[in-house]
Amino acid sequence: MKVLKVAVEKCISCGACEEKCSTLFKKENDREKSCIQINPKNGGRVINVCNQCGRCIDVCPPEALKRDASGIVRLDAKRCVGCLICVGFCPTSAMRQHDDYLVPFKCISCGQCVNVCEQGALVL
Amino acid sequence: MIQVNNNPFPYDNNMTISDILKKKKYMDHMIVVRINGNHVRPEEYNTKVVKDGDDVKVIHLFGGG
Amino acid sequence: MQIEKLRSEHKLLTEFKYDLQPIEKGYANRTLYINLSENHIESQPVTQFMKDKFVGGKGFGLYKLWHAVKPETRWQDPENEIIIAPGPVAGITQYPGTGKSLVVSISPLTDMIIDSNVGGYVGPFLKFSGWDALEIQGKAEKDVIIVIDGNDGTVKIEEAPLEAVDGHVLGEQLTEMYAKDEDDMRNVSVVTAGTAAENTLIGLLNFTFYDTRKKVARLKQAGRGGIGTVFRDKKVKGIVIRYAGTHGNMNNVDDIAPINKAGITIHKQIDKLDDVQCRMRQVGTANIVEVMDAYDLLPTHNYQYGSHKDTVKIDSHTFIKNYLSQNSPDGCWYGCSLSCAKAAEGFKLESGPYKGDKVCVDGPEYETAAGCGSNIGVFDAHAILELNFYCDTYGIDTISFGTLTAFVMECYERGIITKEQTGGLELTFGNKWAAYELIHQMSRGEGFGKIAGLGIRKMKDVFVNEFGADRDFLNDIGMEQKGLEYSEYMSKESLAQQGGYGLTNKGPQHDEAWLIFMDMVNNQIPSFEDKAEALHYFPMFRTWFGLCGFCKLPWNDTTPESNATADEPAKMPEHVQNYVNIFNGVTGLSIDRDELIRQSERVYNFQRIFNIRMGKGLRVHDATPYRSMGPVTKEEYLSREERYDGQLKDIIGLDPTEMSLEDKMAATRKHREAQYEKLTDAVYKRRGWTPNGVPTVEKLSDLGMDLPELVEVINKHL
Repeated sequence: MKVLKVAVEKCISCGACEEKCSTLFKKENDREKSCIQINPKNGGRVINVCNQCGRCIDVCPPEALKRDASGIVRLDAKRCVGCLICVGFCPTSAMRQHDDYLVPFKCISCGQCVNVCEQGALVL
Repeated sequence: MIQVNNNPFPYDNNMTISDILKKKKYMDHMIVVRINGNHVRPEEYNTKVVKDGDDVKVIHLFGGG
Repeated sequence: MQIEKLRSEHKLLTEFKYDLQPIEKGYANRTLYINLSENHIESQPVTQFMKDKFVGGKGFGLYKLWHAVKPETRWQDPENEIIIAPGPVAGITQYPGTGKSLVVSISPLTDMIIDSNVGGYVGPFLKFSGWDALEIQGKAEKDVIIVIDGNDGTVKIEEAPLEAVDGHVLGEQLTEMYAKDEDDMRNVSVVTAGTAAENTLIGLLNFTFYDTRKKVARLKQAGRGGIGTVFRDKKVKGIVIRYAGTHGNMNNVDDIAPINKAGITIHKQIDKLDDVQCRMRQVGTANIVEVMDAYDLLPTHNYQYGSHKDTVKIDSHTFIKNYLSQNSPDGCWYGCSLSCAKAAEGFKLESGPYKGDKVCVDGPEYETAAGCGSNIGVFDAHAILELNFYCDTYGIDTISFGTLTAFVMECYERGIITKEQTGGLELTFGNKWAAYELIHQMSRGEGFGKIAGLGIRKMKDVFVNEFGADRDFLNDIGMEQKGLEYSEYMSKESLAQQGGYGLTNKGPQHDEAWLIFMDMVNNQIPSFEDKAEALHYFPMFRTWFGLCGFCKLPWNDTTPESNATADEPAKMPEHVQNYVNIFNGVTGLSIDRDELIRQSERVYNFQRIFNIRMGKGLRVHDATPYRSMGPVTKEEYLSREERYDGQLKDIIGLDPTEMSLEDKMAATRKHREAQYEKLTDAVYKRRGWTPNGVPTVEKLSDLGMDLPELVEVINKHL
């Protein structure tokens, strides 16, 4: 399973990954709509993105979350009822929610952010 | 003498919150403790000593039915 | 039996087609009226007046029922109705506990209004299908089912002769029958009663939701008051509501942002803290069994005692370890992270018509673990689950069953009724086999079960008139009030809880006020005025949940960190603010916490006056049996002698060392009965009622509820 791995020491918080992700999937450049988020912490930063742990699968009432053939946790928007329990129970706060959408969203290891990271801080 | 939940309660020297809970047979589950209006954290129950004349409140946050 | 065979014998009596309309800010804006005597179905509008004065849920139910019945109408009259109404917030998915409906009817037990709350998917699916309430009047000739398809826009009444009556079978049959395929089963919800509901006055309604992981139709209950008995009297076998397409904004809310925010915050809180708080996700409401026992509050042997050495055999750890499936999302509506609808899967029944079957038991709730456990002396986890299962499938209330069986057992042990009179049933405390046989008799409609199934109030008449029992003693130990059995909390040492049970609209059900800890343990409401304030605020606050579609449990069975330093932590201020924000977010209104209370007061006073209209609802009806207030027997007094002697000395000013046991008991009783009268005076005053318990015109005007039909009723008593 190809999970997005982060090397936080290389990250310079340029925001290119956030821009790529949100523009690609939500058609807007808005870091609040990006599956990957770089958040400042203690003078440095934290790269917050789904590590495919799968905890959300068991807490989802309509079974809208499942691992695909590659082991990536995928959300079926048609089954989702918008309860946001996955958002609340995500151990790393990597399941994203935005008021513009009824359905949460998360990293699916597509690798597009890897391509735009000039620091090599992201790897699939 | 101290007050526990608005009732007089006999005071012993160096009595801690844990001692009071034991004597009153209160469970230490889902409670909020205040001494003279000041919140006492659960980590402090064993060590926080109550003084003579203190007003102790042990509020059970018990939803119940 | 094959689903197709069952369906082939259906006969369509009438079909009603309607236009699908979107919900607007929580309201479908119409109610569905069905008359089974005439096979007539129609749509009725929800007016602005209804929303302003009654909000929804129980409010709508009471309003419709008032206009459907006369003061003389009783439960078996065809014009009695069953009304199911969710409420404007019901069906949102982001916050825990938002799938509730309130069901109202005229009760066979109390001869006045009963209201009962229930989860499951029925309420939300009813609203998504286009209806703010389902109103059923009249009686069918033969057993029918009502089928609502919210995607097709159809309502049908069909004769259904072959389907089962018992809930766990019928729920499965109808779910499978009306689902388009296996994946669609989660879009079907069913209402059932059961066979015992046909032969007793304590019938309930099951509301299902299909559990896709356990692959079974789960059962939630509208338990109190005998509504299932009315259901079967109307010859309704089941109701099916199907709706596919649930998503995160079915209600077309005014502003979803505050709803999302509140939801995510409390989901995180529950994730972080539930394991060290109530453990609802592990065991549900039965987490308090051992807590009640530790504080001497667990009803034992018909409320004689408050604890027992064997409680450990039925405590929460026993149920978690040996019976309850873990780590499953057991919310009874989407979005409930409190997830308290636990189940015992693969449970093998040891008695009755389904003996040997491995079933899924929904429970036990605390009420069942206490009522069908400690209160009847059955300290046996398997037996509690067995009784739980049979109550659910037979369609009878575990609370009424437990409390009435406890009464019967005490009567049997005291020789008030004999083995000859019970038809051979040795109904001693702890005899689970006798309890099993009692419930199976209720299902079959025979034997002593038929007498017991009348409920305590009518049983007392039978025991006095036919078995020569002493009326006064039975009145003391029979834990019923207004005709409804008490729920499973010991109010004996808590004056506030005596009021919390006794000064209710429907009867001694704890959904209005649960004040035992605030009163007895925390001593936060020492004076009469304090108690009266609590007996105003909490019933009004809790009534509000039933107007909106909220479940009470996420209000105070999970505690936010802010509560440690909050003023009035018993009110859970952070959560109250959540509820205000969510209500406004859905409806677009701008209520505050004060208006919330006033919304409830309008409906609460309406219900009181509805009861008065029916010949009840006055001070005399708010009197309580002495077992709920103090020690009836010598053994009870002696079991708490130090406490009672202490009270004689410190509170009443008598010297117990100089008194005989009889005199001590008499003095205690006189004091406690007087205390309850004083409390009643203080509570009525705070509620704006006369000393006889009648709402005043001033109170109604203040609330904007001085409707002519209400003033007409109260004027006769002012």
